[in-house]
Amino acid sequence: MEKEQYQQLEQNVTPKPPYLKNVAKAFFVGGFICAIGQAVSLFYIIFFNFTEATAGNPTVATMVFFAMILTGLGLYKRIGQFAGAGSAVPVTGFGNAVISAAIEHRSEGLVLGVGGNLFKLAGSVVLFGVVSAFFVALIKYILVTIGVVSW
Amino acid sequence: MTLPLLVVLSLLNGCAEKEKFIVYGSPQNESEVETLIKEEDYVDRSTVIQYDDSMLIAVQIKPWEKWKKTKLEKKLQKKFEEKYPNKEVFVSADYKIFYEANKIKKDQMEDNKLSDKITELKELAKEET
Repeated sequence: MEKEQYQQLEQNVTPKPPYLKNVAKAFFVGGFICAIGQAVSLFYIIFFNFTEATAGNPTVATMVFFAMILTGLGLYKRIGQFAGAGSAVPVTGFGNAVISAAIEHRSEGLVLGVGGNLFKLAGSVVLFGVVSAFFVALIKYILVTIGVVSW
Repeated sequence: MTLPLLVVLSLLNGCAEKEKFIVYGSPQNESEVETLIKEEDYVDRSTVIQYDDSMLIAVQIKPWEKWKKTKLEKKLQKKFEEKYPNKEVFVSADYKIFYEANKIKKDQMEDNKLSDKITELKELAKEET
């Protein structure tokens, strides 16, 4: 069998991924996670002294905390399998990435296993977050200095 | 089947009943303040608390206009400062300030506590982190 023939055969046999269905699942589960986040944010605004501007930090921390507990209990895996990017793109995906790496490398010891591999997946999130924040701030600073926009 | 319908109906009902523009506190030109805010069509709901010569204007901006929230806030602040030059005007579009202002009205807070509360809210609104 030639290489092209094999590829032809493979393409015929492979089932087509249900793109539309996956997108809809990711949309609704991701939206649901964000709705919970909004509820947590409102909780901090109403019961504590946080404003709309300052409630972001504790909300993110709480959502990551929830995701970490769900990961530890093995429930976040199921959400991830069902919703795909819908569960990975919100900040809860970050908590999941941290804790699942920690669980995976627990057998290698606390320092070199858990400590060394904790940010194996999430490290890129932190790195690119910091770097992009730096460049956005730099661009804004230049724009403000020129006088195009104000702070 | 009936439960979601009931929830939706009660939510819609709640919207219709609420007062959208409230002025509370020492009675000074209340209707004038109200018409001044109603002129701005991007304001969805508002609560104004007046005490002595300080004035706390808490507004909620309509959803699609929220992109320009800080700009609209400044615009309102300027408008009211020009209109009432001898008053200490403070405009905020933050939900927390709006919520607390409504709470002041609901609890019918006494005057001696009111000025403390207003300064507290002003400081809160200035916090950034």
